[in-house]
Amino acid sequence: MQTISTDVLVIGGGATGTGCALDLAMRGIRCVLVEKGDLTHGTTGRYHGLLHSGGRYVTKDPQSARECAQENAILRRIMPHCIEQTSGFFVITPWDDESYGDVFVANCHRTGVPVQEISVAEMLRREPLLNPRISRVFEVPDASADSFLATHSVALAAREYGADIRTYHNVIELIRVGDRVVGAVVEDLRSGERIRIDCAYVLNAAGAWAGKIAALAGVTVTVVPGKGTMVAMNHRMVNTVVNRCKLPSDGDIIVPIHTVAVIGTTDVHVPDPDVFGIEPEEIQFMLDEGEKLVPGFRQYRALRAWAGVRPLYKDKDVASDRDIPRTFKLLDHEERDGVSGIFSIVGGKWTTYRLMAEQTVNEIARRLGNTQPCRTASEVLPIPKFEHTRHATVTVSPDPAAQTPHYWLGKPLALVESQHAAGDLICECELVTRDRIQAAIDAGAHNLDDIRRDVRMGMGPCQGGWCIYRTANILYERRCADGLSHVHTNEAILHFLQERWKGLTPVLWGDQLRQARLDELIYYGVLGIQRLRALAEPGGGLVTQHPAIATEYVQA
Amino acid sequence: MYDTIVIGAGLAGLMAAIGRAERGEKVMVLAKGHGTTHWTTGCLDLFAEVDDPIAGIIQLTDQRPHHPYALVGLTMIEQGVARFRAICEAAGYPMVGNFNRNLLLPTALGALRPTAFAPATMINGDARQLRDGRPTLIASFGVLRDFFPPLIAANLRAQGIAAEAALLALPPTGRQHDFSPVILARMFDQPDFRARVGEQLAAFVRKGGYARIGMPAILGLKHPTEVVRDLQNRAGALIFEIPTLPTSVAGMRLYHILENALLSLGGRMQLGGFVQRGEPLKETLVAVFSEAAAREQRHTARRWVLATGGILGGGIRATPEGHLRETALDLPLQTPDSRSGWFAARFLAEQGHPVFQSGVRVDRSLRPLDASGRLVYENVMVAGSALAGFDPVREGCLEGVAIATGWAAGQQ
Amino acid sequence: MDHIELSLTQSLDHCIKCNICTAACPVAAVTDAFPGPKYVGPQAQRFRHAAQPVPDASVDYCSGCRVCNQVCPTGVRIAELNARARAQMVAERGMPLRNRIIARSGLVGRLSCGPQAPLVNLTLSFAPARWLIEQVLGIHRHAPLPKASTYTFQHWFRRRKSTVAGRRPKVVYFHGCSTNYYEPHVGKAAVAVLEHLGFEVIIPPQRCCGLPLLSNGDFPAAQKHHQYNVAQLLPFVRAGIPIVGTSTSCTLTLKEEAPELLGLHGDDVRAVAAGTYDIFEFLRNLHERGELRTDFRSIERRLPYHPPCQLRAHRIGRPVLDVLGLVPGLHLDESRADCCGIAGTYGLKREKYQIAMDVGKPLFDFVQASGQNLALCDSETCRWQISGATGVETRHPIEILAEAYGVL
Repeated sequence: MQTISTDVLVIGGGATGTGCALDLAMRGIRCVLVEKGDLTHGTTGRYHGLLHSGGRYVTKDPQSARECAQENAILRRIMPHCIEQTSGFFVITPWDDESYGDVFVANCHRTGVPVQEISVAEMLRREPLLNPRISRVFEVPDASADSFLATHSVALAAREYGADIRTYHNVIELIRVGDRVVGAVVEDLRSGERIRIDCAYVLNAAGAWAGKIAALAGVTVTVVPGKGTMVAMNHRMVNTVVNRCKLPSDGDIIVPIHTVAVIGTTDVHVPDPDVFGIEPEEIQFMLDEGEKLVPGFRQYRALRAWAGVRPLYKDKDVASDRDIPRTFKLLDHEERDGVSGIFSIVGGKWTTYRLMAEQTVNEIARRLGNTQPCRTASEVLPIPKFEHTRHATVTVSPDPAAQTPHYWLGKPLALVESQHAAGDLICECELVTRDRIQAAIDAGAHNLDDIRRDVRMGMGPCQGGWCIYRTANILYERRCADGLSHVHTNEAILHFLQERWKGLTPVLWGDQLRQARLDELIYYGVLGIQRLRALAEPGGGLVTQHPAIATEYVQA
Repeated sequence: MYDTIVIGAGLAGLMAAIGRAERGEKVMVLAKGHGTTHWTTGCLDLFAEVDDPIAGIIQLTDQRPHHPYALVGLTMIEQGVARFRAICEAAGYPMVGNFNRNLLLPTALGALRPTAFAPATMINGDARQLRDGRPTLIASFGVLRDFFPPLIAANLRAQGIAAEAALLALPPTGRQHDFSPVILARMFDQPDFRARVGEQLAAFVRKGGYARIGMPAILGLKHPTEVVRDLQNRAGALIFEIPTLPTSVAGMRLYHILENALLSLGGRMQLGGFVQRGEPLKETLVAVFSEAAAREQRHTARRWVLATGGILGGGIRATPEGHLRETALDLPLQTPDSRSGWFAARFLAEQGHPVFQSGVRVDRSLRPLDASGRLVYENVMVAGSALAGFDPVREGCLEGVAIATGWAAGQQ
Repeated sequence: MDHIELSLTQSLDHCIKCNICTAACPVAAVTDAFPGPKYVGPQAQRFRHAAQPVPDASVDYCSGCRVCNQVCPTGVRIAELNARARAQMVAERGMPLRNRIIARSGLVGRLSCGPQAPLVNLTLSFAPARWLIEQVLGIHRHAPLPKASTYTFQHWFRRRKSTVAGRRPKVVYFHGCSTNYYEPHVGKAAVAVLEHLGFEVIIPPQRCCGLPLLSNGDFPAAQKHHQYNVAQLLPFVRAGIPIVGTSTSCTLTLKEEAPELLGLHGDDVRAVAAGTYDIFEFLRNLHERGELRTDFRSIERRLPYHPPCQLRAHRIGRPVLDVLGLVPGLHLDESRADCCGIAGTYGLKREKYQIAMDVGKPLFDFVQASGQNLALCDSETCRWQISGATGVETRHPIEILAEAYGVL
């Protein structure tokens, strides 16, 4: 077995884990990060994409609200390309308690969340489709954030600082010598090879899976996987984040992100972060709640539904999972459980990932005798190649607003226009050019789902009808010299079709049902992919089937 | 006032309309737009899951008496297909194959797909010929994003076919970008363009000794037979087309051929507005209303054929609450009992997804019935994928049922 | 009915990305400057934001012929999405002087028509003058410009003596700019036919329908025209008097284009829309009710007929074929061509002239192959384009009908 040694082994390739890896590397601490799937494979890649202003937490969880308010400003500065400055409304609908408005404003002031009441007329001018029966509107600096891209940017920076980041590496065992954890055995899911990693500290940043990792070290961490279901609608009926102004509950937020509007979320305790279903009632409930914010919501086309599992850390017995504080906690298992060499960072939310990393790394650095200060709040993050580094700003439009370093909705269209690339789109719905697909492949994508996360291929209305075929072929042509064969490519197509199907069935009606049938005609009828089943098997550097990364959807 | 108005401009609707027009009736096809013809392979799938389609259909007729094939019977199937083939033949675009043995034609992934009849431009790709050991070249242009020779060739090799892949240089045209299958097909209709492609193919044949060349189905929109013949002569090898993703050039050809046939018989086509509702008088459909600028247009006819398709074609639509509705006349539908029974857990599950067998139940004359088996309209016939009780994609009978039931609706 | 419940903009949700529209688009077929209706329509629309800069300019190459709408199986209002996107671009970047001029057909007509018309026509037929106009304004030197009339249709109508007497059912005639300033003979034929059928023809004050403004993206100006016309026409509609027009584009604008593109859905606008008819649609309705006179003279001719895009967009079939099919001896050969290319003012523009000619080529071939010296088409700009490209005289079908009734 190959052995490598490092200072810190970070487990988990979500926002928190990569954030920790970057912070460690920036301070000159050697680290290896392992993630059993792709970066953002877990909860980071399955949330609605809200950069919190803190407004949602001002009443129930003021500590979180304060943290969000601070981090919101920092992230806008260090990763502008990942953030669209949508702004956010908290609105009081006829179904909400009118008196909460004043409480909300007072609590925003108390927690440092910038807030301003605007008139309903102004709200309707900016968002004409919102419910005219809304009585009060408060504007806060909510924004939408691309958590895939952000995590890739953080990982890219971490690598530049020397961090060793390994995706599709699953932790098999934590090696314990007496009361000390001294390393881990991990499996490379592509080759099946096992690697031993010796380290001074293990940092468990596995989010909803943190309990499973802690158990490998023989300690108990109770993480309540709080399932949150979301539905992406085909286009943005609002361009501002819209929250119900009330205590957080189900279906009370619409986030416009990229080309879609995401309505979320539910919060259901599930026993296992890898096994859960999406219930039809959840979808119907969210459509009903959507109607309250945007009349006619049900008539819009739903694209897909998915669920993420919140990594809620349950410190003591609390009545409801929604009452668990959304703030984070660093567990020193030496202090807590008498097992040294391992920390767990649990709880928290995407918006505060950087702060979580800072505080965690402060503690580990202190133990390692490293006195370097944290610099992650000031260094602007790099942009991955598959995201058009050369064209971060666009000159098609004379409007200075188009020159913003921030993401804006029209940017991909402006880029395609300036490059006359309309005929070279592989994913037509999300305007993904052949160049970007190739860059994602060359950056090491391990299957079609990775490419989807990197460049949004297959995430638009047709859900891969055309682009799965095209991307799989480009993947084959680019990697066949490296041992990727037709059988692996066939398997990749079959796998990705099934992955998409899981998220589709809960929302198949109207146009999306028709689309699904057209996709079936294409893959079953025109291409006959099912006739290649005997010529399909996992491998070739692609990871398409492995129990470690399989999310089982329970059929409702 | 028309003798017959056909709602829907797919294979079923056009065949029904042609049948009526051939009897001297005043006929109109009323449709929202183009549809399934433009998405399919351009072949005629009769019954794909068996070697012998007719034997399969005979067996099916016994086992599933409510299957559309069982309702119209073997004679109508054979007559409809024969008429369809005669129309294509007359248009210089013969459909080759037979009733008793499916062809096996390569797909754009290199799978081998059974079909009963294929255009002559595809016929040289039959796997039984390809397996003769002589090398086959799969060729396309790099600018075409809907066809990738290397994977096709690799999959064909894995199935015992000596296939290799090549990319051709695009001859210079006035165009810098946007080379869709349809754009390229129009270019192939130009003799100069195909001469330049033919030269390249000849060079490959000289070097590699290829007996056959498979290309995407973009070899001409107007004159494909002539284009393929010309390319064969220039290349010195047999050429065959492989269907591409929608929009399908091969499918468009069939649409244009049938449309021309109908118009030359004096039939009328009106596209652009959905048919939204009917006007019944007891068991007779008196009129339908189609959507138009500022107000509906009322159409009257003595007889009607509903050929709007299933969920794919737009004849059936589902609500978020889980109800299915026939969109034009609000006919009763036969559907799964509840939404929880609509889908299988796996996208490519063998049995398919039950929701796609939803449709209108009909009597032996193809007239719509309600849930209790009572006749809804005595002067309406339903044809094609709007019919209940079968899955055209999974059973590989999309074109076969469309043509057979469309033809039957045009005869009764 | 859920096909049309979604508003114009939201209709992008119906797109299932099948590219049937792009395959049928006559513009995308001849130029790569236009990436196709699906691309600039429902696809690009998901990337547009009312408060952000306009990200794309290629939508301006949409000619607005609406072939995409007609073939779309799912009901996306593609052409209208494109028109709105262009309007946002014009609102942000301004409108070239050329477009401002050609979009104001009423103004141009007023300046050209009258005693000065021969001089105007002479100048516009003079190659160096056209060269200069092309250089200065960007109107292509070979683009078909109509000949101004020496008198306006309104002037003629006011001075004529009505041939009908007594109480008759009334009908409002919306003549449009082309009839008024360039082709008064079309209006004369329409009046003659309507009066022959026993109607009293009323011509209220009217302005340009606003379509050229809509298709060039000047929505605020178009809205003023439409509001004026609605105000003028409303009393008649309220009194149950139908509005008929010979220009398929004017009637389409009153029926649908102006209300939809401008988002005007008030009762008045709807009432005028619902009371407006293409003249042959109106005549076909009469015939279906058994009220159309069929005392036709025989016309032993076989003529090519092109149903213009603006008529197809009404989605009412082929009323000209239905009505002229009643005339003994007359046989019309319907063109199967998608579009003549001109698309109102599109083909006048220097950068789009050749596209328009390429789009229209199948139609020009069809007209020339007919061997006839006369072709029929309901839309004025298409008639000028067909005549300009083929040299074959092209007339409005109402003129043939008037001849068949013997009233000209």
